[in-house]
This record gives sequence, structure tokens and C-alpha cells, in this order.
Amino acid sequence: MRRTALIAGAALVWLALQLVLLVWWATVIERQARRIAALQALGAGGQDLAAAQWSRTRLMLIGESSTFLALLLAISLLLAWLYWREQRRARSMQAFFASVTHELRTPLTSIRLQAEAIAEGAQRVELARRLLEDSHRLESQIEKTLELARIEGGGSLADQEIPLHPWLAHSIRDIAGAHGARLDLRAHLDASLPPVEADAAALQLILRNLVENSVRHSCITPVSVRLTAVRQGRYVVLEYQDNGRGVAAGTGRLGRLFGRGAASPGAGVGLYLVRRLMQRMRGRARFDTAPGDGFRCELWFRAGA
Amino acid sequence: MSGGAQLLLVEDERNVAETLVERLGAEGFQVTRADSIASARRAIGSAQFELALLDVGLPDGNGFELARLVRVRAPATAIIFLTAHAAAEERIRGLELGADDYIGKPFHFRELLLRIQKCLKRAQELTRVPGDMRGQVRIGRALVDFERFSATVNGESVALTHKECAVLRLLAERVGKAVSRDEILDRAWSTDEFPTSRTVDNFIVRLRKLIEVDAADPRVIRSIRGVGYLLTEINRE
Repeated sequence: MRRTALIAGAALVWLALQLVLLVWWATVIERQARRIAALQALGAGGQDLAAAQWSRTRLMLIGESSTFLALLLAISLLLAWLYWREQRRARSMQAFFASVTHELRTPLTSIRLQAEAIAEGAQRVELARRLLEDSHRLESQIEKTLELARIEGGGSLADQEIPLHPWLAHSIRDIAGAHGARLDLRAHLDASLPPVEADAAALQLILRNLVENSVRHSCITPVSVRLTAVRQGRYVVLEYQDNGRGVAAGTGRLGRLFGRGAASPGAGVGLYLVRRLMQRMRGRARFDTAPGDGFRCELWFRAGA
Repeated sequence: MSGGAQLLLVEDERNVAETLVERLGAEGFQVTRADSIASARRAIGSAQFELALLDVGLPDGNGFELARLVRVRAPATAIIFLTAHAAAEERIRGLELGADDYIGKPFHFRELLLRIQKCLKRAQELTRVPGDMRGQVRIGRALVDFERFSATVNGESVALTHKECAVLRLLAERVGKAVSRDEILDRAWSTDEFPTSRTVDNFIVRLRKLIEVDAADPRVIRSIRGVGYLLTEINRE
């Protein structure tokens, strides 16, 4: 909203500037025309002076009008581009809110249905399991949305050195525990790898997002996820691979804000957060997927001392 | 009240689907679950359903495509959309595609149950075609079969939605007499759908495109100013 107001303000300033320029231009031309008329009135000597004056005036007119038109065109194009970009952003935001609303309403529907069943006397462990799963999904969606707002708002990350081997051994239990029998997550890491420069909370969020994507979109139960790591020069590359169905949308869209597979549920935030968090930790994320080949992601961390 | 009605539930969210199957089953419905358009197609091909509950967002397409398929393959089946996208435009799109109702998520199970029962009741009323309306009836340029929810225009078969059928049948039953918009609304829409007279006018426009030789100059369904509509002629074949 503030952006749109700024663009509208810039357009108004530009219009006012053009009006001032037009008035100034008209004043100069009118003054030149009066001067030429006065010289012509002087007779023969004045005629030559008038011709020379007219030639200078013509050059001035061509030069100024070309500059003026070029400037007009350039700034108009700039304003049109800014407007188009703003419109695209507004459409993306609209799509994002529609997706987030969908992502919140769906588990909420399930929670309400389970809760109503319990309120009417049903007492089954399965209902409680579904309630837990849906509340976890709701929590995850809210966390992602908040983290997106924090990162886009310039929120800072800690600069830590994390030894991947012990850290993953500990974190995998937490991450895998949330998905129960739907996930088979294993890490095969060399204990001699150097630590990586990262923020522990961001790293946890990255892995949680990747795992959640695999569980939701793989169409395989349990989905098998393998983590391996290798050193590549200044970097430690953590490779993530699942055995799911892969995504038909191609890798181009993945990791872009609100970008997701054509038939995939989700708001298109999870992988974007992975990419942005990796960039903020001076690393990078690469995604690779094809129908039938599962989903693969490379997380490039700067190696610590 | 359910009388063991056959329901098709197309929902890809596992927890929502499993809970609905269990709870609707406990209410006496026979529920078949599908989690994609492909599996719904197979289910429609192998069984007859009185009502289909369709999610709009599905992994291999959207519920609107599926509604079109249901309309063609199983015209007697009533349709209710279940969706988290409950914006007015989507609701209108769903209803225009022939959905009988549209429920936004999250919903209460009891509310869903009531709506299912109302839809089934309306669908049953529609399938009870009186003797003089059975078989094929010529209305304008269309050959209408109320029992099959279909019309044939220029040799091409067109599936009619439940509401189109209800409106057309009411006009046909009262041929030569004006039928008020309120009466049409009472017959084809439930009170909780918040229809307006404008909704009826939109349906009449669609019916005219189907049966009139020139929809811009309607001769078969005539507007009676301040009252409603009048069907001028029908011929039993």
C-alpha cells in the first residue's frame, strides 16, 4: 500500500515537473519569437541577424525537444515498469494470502471435525493422533509465515560454527519424531567434516521445511530421506534426497516465493525460505526434481575453521 | 434420514477424508472415498452415487473439472463442493457448473449433514418425473429428457444441471401460464443459498441459449414484466 502511494506520488511529481518544463519552454520560445520579429522590423541588417537568430533558435528547439522527449519517454517507461512490478507483487500477495488461508483452513477443518467427534462421545486414539498431526501442521504454517515476515523485514541470524555430524544426530530425532511412521530419515555423515557457518535455528527450520515437503508431496508412506555431506573447497555440501514422486513443475519454479508444483498443495513458502536462509548464511541452496526421481536438494554451507 | 444413500467423497486431505468417511458412515451413508480426479473417475465408472462431495483443490486438477465430468457421466448425482477457497467468485462458478451447494472450510459436521440431507431430498424430488413429463419433450429447438437430465440440440446431447432441470420442468408443468420468480426460487433453490431474482434471470438466459432459435429474441420462454416467465409451448414426442 505504501509502495503504491509512493509510485502514485512519484507520478504526480513527474506530471508537475512536466508542466513546469512546458511553461518554461513556451516562455523561451515566445521570447525568441519576439526577438526575431523585432530584428526583422529593423530592415536589411536586421534580416541577416534575424536569420542567424532563427537558425540558433531552431537548433535549440531541436536539441531541447529531443532531450525533453527522451526524458519524458524514459521516465514514463520507468513509471510504467514500477506500476507493472507493483501490480505483479499485489497479485502475488493475493495468491499468497489465498494459499496461506487454504493451508490454515484445511487443518482447522480437520481439527474441528475431530474435536466435534470427541465432544459427541467418540474416544479413539486415532482421533487424538489426527488432532496432533493437524495442530502440528497449523503450527508449522504459522511459523513459516512469521519467519518469512522476519527474513523479508531484514531480521538477523546468528553467526555460529556448527559441527554437522553431532548436530544432525541430535536434531534428526526431533524432526523425525513429528512425522512418526510416515518418515524414514537417516543421515550418513563423516565425523571428520569441518563445522559449518550457520544459524542453528535457521538450519533446523530448513531441515523441517524440506522434510515436511517430502512427507506431504512424495505420495509414498513412509517416505525415505537420506542426508549425506561432502567437502567441496571452502564449502560443506549437505545433500538431501527423498524417494518420492518428484515434482512435475520443474526446478525453475522451486525456491521462488509462491512458486510450487502445478498440482502441489502448499503456499509456496517453504523452499523459498530454505533458499533465502541459505543466502543469509552466505551459502546457497540448489533444488533438483523430476517426476519419478524424487526430490534432491544441495545445501552449500561455508566451512568453518 | 440417509437411507443408506451412496456418497462419493473426493478429498485429498487424508485426515479430513478419513474423519468424514467414518462420521458419514456412522450416520448410515455408504461412502466411497477418492483422493484425486483419476480415482474419482474410476469410482464414477464403477458405481452410481446419489451425491458427490467434491474438494476444489485436488492433486491432479480442480473439483470444477470433476463436476463437469459428473454432470455428463452421472447427471442424477447431486454435487456439493467442499473448499477452503470460499470466495464469492468461486462459489458462483461452482453453482453455475451445476453444484447443488457449496460449503466453505472449516465447517461443522452437523451443518454438512443437514446440507447433504437437503440436497438428497431435492435430488429425489427431481428424479420423480410425473407421467406427462417422461420420455422426450420438445421445448423450442431442444429435445429434453427430464429423467436423464439431458437435452439434445441439433443432434448434440447436452447435460442439464439439477437446477436447470428444476426450472425448466416447473415452466413445462405450467405451460402457457406465467410462473413468478419467487416460485422458481422456491422450487430450485434452498433458502440458505441466498439466491436472488437475478439468479433466476441468469438461469433463464442459459436456458434460452439452449432452447431458443435466437436467444436475443426469445419466443419460447417469454418474460412477463413484473411477474416472471412463461413457457409458450411444449410438444411430447
